[in-house]
Amino acid sequence: MSSKAGTSGHHHHHHEATGGNSWERSYRHVRDNHRIHLEYTNRDFDSCLAHIEEALEQSEGLAEYPLYVKALIRRRQGKIQESLQLFQKATALNPANVSNLKQVGRSLMLLGKFRSSMEVLEEAKRLDPRDWEVWHDEGICNAKARSYEKAVECLERANEIQPHDTTYLALGGVHKAMSKHKRAVQAYSQGLKQSPGNPELLTACGLAYLRIDENYKAFELLLKAISVDPKNPNTILATCSMIQEHADLDTALLKYRVAAVVNPNSSQLWNNVGMCFYGKQKYIASIACLKRALTIDPFDWIVNYNLGLVHLSTGQHASAFHFMSSSINLKPEFPSSYMYLAVILSKLGDVENSRAAYNKALSLKSDYLFELNYAATLYNFDLLEESLAHFRRFEELFRDQPNNAPVEPDVPTQREALARAHGIDIE
Amino acid sequence: MVGQGLDPLWLAQSKYRRRKYQECVDICTENLHRNPYDESFWYLKCRALTAIDWLDDIELLDDTLGDQLLDENAIAQMPRPGTSMNRPATGAVGTAAGGQVRGRTGRPASGFARPSSSALRPGTSLERALGTAAGRRGTTARPVTSSGRFVRLGTASMLDHCGDEFIDSDKIDIRKYAKKPGLARALNDYMLYVDHNPKRALELCSQCTKLSDYRDWWWKERLGKCYFQLGMFRDAEKQFLSSQKNCGTVLATLDLCKVYMKMDQPLKALEAYEKSLKEHKTSVSLLLGMSRCHDSVNNFEEALSLYKRVTQLEPSNVEALACLANDHFYNDQPEIALRFYRRLLQMGVNNAEIWNNVALCCFYSSQYDMTIHCFEKALALAVDEGMADVWYNVGHVAIAIGDIGLAYQAFKIAVSVDASHAESYNNLGVLELKRGSFEQARSNFQVAERLAPELHEPKYNSALIAFDAGDYEESVEMANSALETLPGHEDSSDLLRQLEKVLSLL
Repeated sequence: MSSKAGTSGHHHHHHEATGGNSWERSYRHVRDNHRIHLEYTNRDFDSCLAHIEEALEQSEGLAEYPLYVKALIRRRQGKIQESLQLFQKATALNPANVSNLKQVGRSLMLLGKFRSSMEVLEEAKRLDPRDWEVWHDEGICNAKARSYEKAVECLERANEIQPHDTTYLALGGVHKAMSKHKRAVQAYSQGLKQSPGNPELLTACGLAYLRIDENYKAFELLLKAISVDPKNPNTILATCSMIQEHADLDTALLKYRVAAVVNPNSSQLWNNVGMCFYGKQKYIASIACLKRALTIDPFDWIVNYNLGLVHLSTGQHASAFHFMSSSINLKPEFPSSYMYLAVILSKLGDVENSRAAYNKALSLKSDYLFELNYAATLYNFDLLEESLAHFRRFEELFRDQPNNAPVEPDVPTQREALARAHGIDIE
Repeated sequence: MVGQGLDPLWLAQSKYRRRKYQECVDICTENLHRNPYDESFWYLKCRALTAIDWLDDIELLDDTLGDQLLDENAIAQMPRPGTSMNRPATGAVGTAAGGQVRGRTGRPASGFARPSSSALRPGTSLERALGTAAGRRGTTARPVTSSGRFVRLGTASMLDHCGDEFIDSDKIDIRKYAKKPGLARALNDYMLYVDHNPKRALELCSQCTKLSDYRDWWWKERLGKCYFQLGMFRDAEKQFLSSQKNCGTVLATLDLCKVYMKMDQPLKALEAYEKSLKEHKTSVSLLLGMSRCHDSVNNFEEALSLYKRVTQLEPSNVEALACLANDHFYNDQPEIALRFYRRLLQMGVNNAEIWNNVALCCFYSSQYDMTIHCFEKALALAVDEGMADVWYNVGHVAIAIGDIGLAYQAFKIAVSVDASHAESYNNLGVLELKRGSFEQARSNFQVAERLAPELHEPKYNSALIAFDAGDYEESVEMANSALETLPGHEDSSDLLRQLEKVLSLL
């Protein structure tokens, strides 16, 4: 405003007049922005928008901050395209402001336009290479565009500049997507060092430990997560499935009840509840729960598999066959399904197909349990020689087991029975 | 040669009694040519023509698009729970959970395809399996208003005997006929059902009512009918009530309740039914009407107990049996449902829908060998629209046995038979998604959504796809519209919550 000052008397006079006005105007502008900011942070969006419109009208649409806040509000409302245009306007008004550029990038990302988003973020990086958010967003973009290596690089850079929980979570997620569970665990653990009480990090880390079969660690973390956030259905599901594995069914059921209120439409939840009842030998309840799981997700092979198991236990072999074959149709590469299918077929009296199923199971995986069941089935159909051969294979495999490996209680009794039948001394 | 010696009037009467209406009309026309003033022939021809075009309007409750748009009988925008059919779900709060779920997923609430009111728009969902109701989609051109429909039926029937129009109701001298009670009744029905001229019929009715000292229930009932056809529901109500006062007939009650349903006052209709039932304890039509009324406000338990009463009175009532079967099926008792369907089959009901239902019952009660046979039978009997539904169900069974290829083919066939089968498109989309072909899935959902905007599944699925693809704006939009079609849809609200989390990040 003062650039034109003092060129002439007349001008000077003019300047005085507008000068007072402009001072007033700029003061007003600060006051408006302050009010907009207050209302936005108080989530009073309606009156905030009204004030923004007022401010924009006065400045003829050339006020940066009101534009910026309006864009933020529009984005919250899901109008991302409009929000993008507003951010772009704000950027045009003040191209030197990194936060405008960052928001343009983020809006593009939310619209699924990752490549253009990354271009904008590159631009923002040129303005301020030490802004962690830019690196973080670029990492997310890369992850969504499935260039995981690049994503890891960006996210790690973001953490170098300033570590954040969200960045650690994203980093772990990228590692998980690459099936590098050990590195995911590392990322989450690092994040936990920063904020040991973050339930999301705790759950994510616990699940990652589960993937690398460190059950004890996983359990510890999940319990911690549940104590911080007792109602998160995913955490409950993960924790309970572990409790269930240790055969503490009543505790698991108690916790599932909490989860069922929050998320009644979870197929996995009903599946697990069903298997809890199965463990308690309440077959009718079990079937009801499993069928519910199946109506929620008809494509889940494991629900079909479990239904097959339950029907096998209740002696409804035809239904058991039906569910087991559905399970195999949906997931043909799971060897145990074939073993159970073989058992079911043998109960239905179909030796030929039963043998075919056993052979298929064994071709996928050599397992002492398969051999034992095969031997028992063959013995029951008076095919003694073949039965003996498979029993011998079983013995070999069973003896190779490490001593501390868990063995189902049924196996030794069946083994003794078969050994006696074949007249073999196992000891 | 045969009829030469017979008295033509007697012959015509005999034809009429044997329901050979067209032949009866021919004889009458011939004789009327000879003597245009022969009242007996005139009467008989009138009756016969009416019988040809007879429309059991007690059963018809079709709210067409135009009626909905031009509805002058404004009702409260926010009716109290359970008092309106326009938001039937509100009535179900607190009743059996099963009933509520049914109402919400949009499965057919009744197992019987009946000409139904707008509130009961049957059958549209992934779960929709039974009672494939007719008139579900507008594949045929619908008349714009219901009086339009009467007109349409009218013109269609006029074609048969155009050229010599029997009675020109606009020119006829009503006062002359009103004095002859027998002829007047025949003439009135002719004007209502054949000529579709409720205005003139109304004049005749009011004349006759006046002549009968306002005591004749029949004329009042017909007067109400005229008002109903003219869309003057309040006047119709008055006439039916007054007719009931003269003589408490079932007919007047049924008419009255039809008016109440049309005015969206199901509770009042129930009251009227209740009152009339005290007099006519064994009237099946009253009981059926009442249970339909309960159905329309999602009060399924009441409806079912009434259907049971109907079966006790009339063990071969198709509607009651079908509804009971439907209920048992959805309450996870397919074996019992199967017994009802078997009964229906024994009674001689033999169509694609019933075999389809039997197949589903067999499947869910684990009688797999029967399932395929029944579906084959259903397909052999099915015509276009029904066929698509049958294939749709085959697809579901295929999913249940894990045969995704067969499911895919079944849905494809359903779509090829009936290109507007939105549910099949939706399921095709889901299968495409399972196969990993993203674009195909998306386009399938879009088609489903365009064909049936009242389905929430394709919208939710589109929202999910958009969410996974990272297009959050589209996702918000679709999730919101899914919630609009089905308020309280758990998964959509869940998705929106997730979206909000992402969007409110700075």
